[in-house]
Amino acid sequence: MENSITLTPEKITADLYPKKFGRAGMIWTASLIVICAIGLFAYIRQLNKGLVVTNMRDYVSWGIYISNFVFFVAISLVGSLITAIFRLANVHWSTPLTRIAEIIAVSAIVFAALIIIVDMGRPERFLNLFIYGRLQSPIIWDVVVISTYFFISLLLLYLPLMPDLKILNQDPGKNTRFLNRLYRFGGSFWKGTKDQFKISNRAITTLCIIIIPVAFCIHTVTSWLFATTYRPGWDSTNFGAYFVSGAFLVGAGGVIVAMYVFRRAYHLEKYITDLHFEKMGRIVVMLALLYLYFNVNEYLVPAFKMKKPEAEHLHELFAGAFAPMFWFAILVGMIIPIFILVFKKGRKPLPMFIAGVMIVIGAWFKRYLIVTPTLLHPFLPMHDVPDSYKHYFPSWEEWAIAMGSLAGALLIMTFFVRIYPIIPIHETITEQNETAENK
Amino acid sequence: MKRLKTNRKLIVFLYLLMPAMAFSQDSVEKTPTLNLKYFSSEQNVPYVLVQSRLKVGRKFEPVKGIAVKFYLDSATSSMLMTDKVITDESGEAIAALPPTLKNVWDASDKHKFIAEASGNKDFDGMETDVEINKAKLSLDTATADGTKTVSVTVTQLEKGKWVPVKGVDLKIGIQRMESTLKIGDEDTYTTDSTGEIKAEFKRDSLPGDSKGNLVLVASVEDNDQFGNLKAEKTVPWGAAMNPVSTFNERSLFATRDKTPIWLLLMAFGIIGIVWGTLIYLIIQIFKIRKLGKQVSS
Repeated sequence: MENSITLTPEKITADLYPKKFGRAGMIWTASLIVICAIGLFAYIRQLNKGLVVTNMRDYVSWGIYISNFVFFVAISLVGSLITAIFRLANVHWSTPLTRIAEIIAVSAIVFAALIIIVDMGRPERFLNLFIYGRLQSPIIWDVVVISTYFFISLLLLYLPLMPDLKILNQDPGKNTRFLNRLYRFGGSFWKGTKDQFKISNRAITTLCIIIIPVAFCIHTVTSWLFATTYRPGWDSTNFGAYFVSGAFLVGAGGVIVAMYVFRRAYHLEKYITDLHFEKMGRIVVMLALLYLYFNVNEYLVPAFKMKKPEAEHLHELFAGAFAPMFWFAILVGMIIPIFILVFKKGRKPLPMFIAGVMIVIGAWFKRYLIVTPTLLHPFLPMHDVPDSYKHYFPSWEEWAIAMGSLAGALLIMTFFVRIYPIIPIHETITEQNETAENK
Repeated sequence: MKRLKTNRKLIVFLYLLMPAMAFSQDSVEKTPTLNLKYFSSEQNVPYVLVQSRLKVGRKFEPVKGIAVKFYLDSATSSMLMTDKVITDESGEAIAALPPTLKNVWDASDKHKFIAEASGNKDFDGMETDVEINKAKLSLDTATADGTKTVSVTVTQLEKGKWVPVKGVDLKIGIQRMESTLKIGDEDTYTTDSTGEIKAEFKRDSLPGDSKGNLVLVASVEDNDQFGNLKAEKTVPWGAAMNPVSTFNERSLFATRDKTPIWLLLMAFGIIGIVWGTLIYLIIQIFKIRKLGKQVSS
């Protein structure tokens, strides 16, 4: 926290203490639950009738589910950026953002795993992946890395939460019985002793070190699911770096949106200040430029050579059926946010929020464009197949499940904010004391 | 009223045009063709092959499902070779000479094969035949001063005796996977007055089987008098090939029980280090818990 006004620990605790939902919060939560319920209904239909309810066929066998999966994996990468990289680099201004980043990471990775099971069609066979999986397959690497990343993110969320649990346990009258039970279970043993802090800090540092390579792996391996397949649009040595840079961008965009929403909803202007937006804005510009650079690489090099299958694929993206979506993703997901955020006025909360929303939406469509057009352009021409095999547009069940999963991830974040402080209380107090002492 | 008149004119014009349109649609002529070929080789019983095709414009389209009866010399039930062989997807059906007609076959130097089609309105009752003189190819090889020579003799049966035939075009090749490969520079060779041709084998070090064997093939194709004749001989003139199969070895594309060792070591090494660290961190959480309880007590 880098604000000039010094706040008392009591004031900080009161400001950051989890609060009951207001009217808007209730409407928001109810809306998410309804979207999730519709998604669940669609999934039950899919379970009963099979994957035939989707519009995926022989050619497009990876549709909106896998696009959504890649999106979730991408956005989850932000946990490692904000928490681990900034912590190891001794960047203190990011303290109020660490928990936001971590809960985005955890909720996204939960639904990344779930959406893969949805795509499998036969969820009861999920265990077969572990029992009969081939270690040579990037799919197994992805399963291993996602499980590991989920576990690390959970630990990274929990360990810094322990001092806050002590604060939450101090006044049981403030909490509901369920929350008291939850807080006691999670942190009744935390007494804040020197030894406990020593062990906890060492564990957090270890996690921060270990999460960075795992985070890079999770998205690199996801990119390899595509890049190890010889297909136009995927056959690239650039894919790992391209995916990681895109993931950092969408993750940072997601954090900006969350920062703005939490700041407005819980009146956290003293904690998530304009300075945070200013600094995040600069980071996002850098990440957007980086991702744009990889996009230029990804499209310019094959476009220069124009090998026939690549040419057909690129034509579909640049000027064909996918062109509106492609240019939308490039302009809205990268170029316009860069233009907004490159100016100082653009790095104010509201323009930042708009840019963040644009980045996240653009990123979602970008993942769709990575997955689907390639599958519609196989090397061998499509002969003697039903017309439905030659096109792909998700069925209502697919949309409902995909939107339900997005709503589910938002619901996890919403409930988390209701239960736990979204800005670390103890760390904020400690940092303020340290700042005061240094003055 | 004027509009009605115009419409009437249009209707009359279209009515007059209809036969012309119909004619133009039917103008693509479809002609059924039935073609019969005779095949003989040392390895097989003589057989005939029928091709049922529809000539559409300039193209020939194979016709599947035509029932064909085959006869030897005359279309009578006693000379029936096979009853109703059905043409396949490429419009072809074959019939070998049955043992019941051996005596008839041996009795003469010349024979006629007859094919009679049914089961399709275009082909119903259609008949075709092919007349052949019994002939055979003899393939021999010789090696002298490092030069490998192939000699092929064509003889025909004349009054019970095999006599050489002059002026027959034939091909000599090496059997490969899908077709034959020429043994030298010539596409075809023509027999001399002794019914023989000699050709030099110029394909040194050609991959053969595991012992270096190659199969030489001499053939006469679509000869008006003799049909299709073939002779084969296996010679050790190739390079021995023992392809190395990696199918059962550990590789990235093998089954799960044949994962490469390096991958197993790397993957389990990384998983071990990462999960080992995570387990250590969980132990640390229990340590924190224990410390907390000690303070409470």
